[in-house]
Amino acid sequence: MTATIANPVPGGRKRRAARDGRPGRKLTFDNVSFMVVFLGLPVTVFAVFVLWPFAQAAYFALTNWSGFSPDYDVIGLDNFGDLWSDQLFRRAVRNNVILAVVVPLATIVIALTFATIMTIGGSSHGQLRGIRGSSFYRVVSFFPYVVPAIVIGLIWSKIYDPTSGLLNGTLTKLGLDQFEAFAWLGKQSTARWAVIFVIMWGFVGFYMVLFIAAIKGIPAELYDAARIDGCGRARMTFSVTIPMIRDAVQTAYIYLGIFALDAFVYVQAMTPTGGPENSTLTISQRLFRTAFTEGKFGYASAMGVVLAAVTLLFAGLVFTVSWLTGGRDKRSKA
Amino acid sequence: MNTRKQNHRPGKKSTDRRGFLKGAAAAGAGVALSPYLGKVGLAGASTPPAVGDAVNPFGVAEGSTVDAAIFSGGYQHDYVEFAAEIFEEVHPGTTVNVSPLTLVAQELQPRFVGGNPPDLIDNSGAGSMGINTIFEQLEDLTDVIDAPNLEGVPIRDTLYPGVLSPGTFGDRFVAVNYVFTIYGVWYSGSLFEQHGWTPPTNWDEAIALGAAAQEEGLYLFTWGMEAATYYQTFLIDSAIKEGGDEVRLALANLEEGCWSHPAVQGAFTAMKTVVDEGYMQPGGAGTQFVQAQAQWTLDQTALMYPSGSWIENEMKETTAEGFEMRGVPEWSVTTDSAMSETALRAAAGEPFIVPSGGANVAGAKELLRIMLSEESATYFLREKLAPTIVSGLVPEDGFGSTALVSQTEMLEAANGEYFNHEFVQFYGTNQEQLPIWNSFLSGDKSVEELTSDLQAITDRVREDDSITKVTFE
Repeated sequence: MTATIANPVPGGRKRRAARDGRPGRKLTFDNVSFMVVFLGLPVTVFAVFVLWPFAQAAYFALTNWSGFSPDYDVIGLDNFGDLWSDQLFRRAVRNNVILAVVVPLATIVIALTFATIMTIGGSSHGQLRGIRGSSFYRVVSFFPYVVPAIVIGLIWSKIYDPTSGLLNGTLTKLGLDQFEAFAWLGKQSTARWAVIFVIMWGFVGFYMVLFIAAIKGIPAELYDAARIDGCGRARMTFSVTIPMIRDAVQTAYIYLGIFALDAFVYVQAMTPTGGPENSTLTISQRLFRTAFTEGKFGYASAMGVVLAAVTLLFAGLVFTVSWLTGGRDKRSKA
Repeated sequence: MNTRKQNHRPGKKSTDRRGFLKGAAAAGAGVALSPYLGKVGLAGASTPPAVGDAVNPFGVAEGSTVDAAIFSGGYQHDYVEFAAEIFEEVHPGTTVNVSPLTLVAQELQPRFVGGNPPDLIDNSGAGSMGINTIFEQLEDLTDVIDAPNLEGVPIRDTLYPGVLSPGTFGDRFVAVNYVFTIYGVWYSGSLFEQHGWTPPTNWDEAIALGAAAQEEGLYLFTWGMEAATYYQTFLIDSAIKEGGDEVRLALANLEEGCWSHPAVQGAFTAMKTVVDEGYMQPGGAGTQFVQAQAQWTLDQTALMYPSGSWIENEMKETTAEGFEMRGVPEWSVTTDSAMSETALRAAAGEPFIVPSGGANVAGAKELLRIMLSEESATYFLREKLAPTIVSGLVPEDGFGSTALVSQTEMLEAANGEYFNHEFVQFYGTNQEQLPIWNSFLSGDKSVEELTSDLQAITDRVREDDSITKVTFE
């Protein structure tokens, strides 16, 4: 800003411009108080409640702290070595990776499909619009997101109940007798997918609304032009919609992925024991148990550090993939 | 009662606030505050106490405050409030703050780290602290047991036999387990009478009963996913009755190959038959445990349920009219067992502990002494329909509870032949064992797989040097 003002102006006006252009340099009460309130305070809060706990966790990961006494020894990287050979923890990491791959992908595909139907899925004559009643569906599909995650978990654990649950009740009424007393959350073959379904159920509505907003932001001329060129709805989706909202999709992917790497509330509500053969055990569940029931806070902190690393790795991976698949063209054009 | 309870409230609030400040100090945010807090804690202790007399055996300081943090689960925490009222009457001028806890470990962890734990803690429930993690910081409570109760009788003489062992680790007695829990297999007296069934005394009879139930379209047992290890407890107890102390010590002391002991294998194999014959209500691995228990108490589709004696209180609201809950001792594998048919796993539960770092250790011990006196123990019995470790207080009619009468009968029939084991609780392995049992009870695991999975956990704990071990006797 200052440069563009200062440069083209010659001679005598330059001095004045510099003074006018850089008011921040002067430590008046206004400036200082502004800095304190809008910079100092947030940075302090961030440092105390985010950075400091991070640093603490990283430090405790190097100790054998039990969590219940003020004494501990620094034991270096032993905890990480133990984690590497901890079968249960590796199992949890594997489960989380599966969640982080499946949940975002499936949720986004479904959300995007619905969003497309509700924005450009309507009549192909006249103005571009969604299917009839789309605003109603939009509101209804947002409902699950309004319900707290723990409540969703508990509701579904009742729906999945083998003998008195809604799901098996419906299926057996339809004549599918093999679902009599079928333990959805108790069979290794179904527990993970039952949990994934519930997480998706909770999120699809929100991401659909997010995508609808993004699609509405696309200039209508683009669609009109595409239609004149003879695009069908599918072609319009892949050649207009998705390229135009790829930033929204990328953000959604990262958010959902980070969530899936945690997923604590859902799994704790539906399969508090870690699921059949630990097939739904997550890192966060394992961490919680290690810290509070086994009294190994140092070891649990090491798990936390690994989880943070996995999360960062995931975000990095998504950015890289997005960049490689064409994000870079867009950047350079802009 | 009610007005008194309300009187407690302001005091309770101030503890919370202080607890918060202490927590803040512990987190390092309020270092400057801690000298001030230290003074608050010491204020009462400055009065010279009269140590050792019968009225005040631990020398509770005048005007001091006792801070009791009580797990408020199935038994709530009102029974401690009841004892607290007596405390304040016996020691005028003192205050007892009873605060309820639900997740004991999470709520108390910062206070232990900060060096200002509550004076008395009921360390119970699913979120309890592993005793081995705080073992070094606990007060030895032998002097409480040797003190006279409010009636003047030494407390030791009023207790059921063997109730001190669950709180004793190595040579230290660190936890008063207040509630006497009897492990049994529970059933509906009326349903059994109606069909002319008698509860089994060994596994062959149990399997025969399972067949009889199947003819009626019923199941022998049911289970819920968070409580699948109730069957582990049941089968361990069954094996101990079959094989005696040898089995109990092998398992508790984490011996190599302990799960392959013939008695243990006998119990596992019998259970496998029950599972394979379809005598288990299906779907347990996906059923929430209270829901599963209601299949037995309310729907009555399952006949029996192995559990501790808390079960009657836990299912009070969801038990069918005229259910008449009764229990039998967990049965042994064969009729040729090391222990007699009436031998009983009876264990004191609800461990009350006193951290040495608490501000008022004497007050905590005194509160325990009052809880172990007749009036408090009777209050518990009447309100909770479960016996405390104080013996001889259950009336003929069991305050109208068939289960309480049945428990008293079992205790008397056992005639002191009690046993107990604590290793699962002590090493905190229950969570890890749950998935294994869920699979086994669903029919997805053979006895061999069950054995090797459980042995792997035992071996891992034994080989892990970072885990404090004790030798059980």
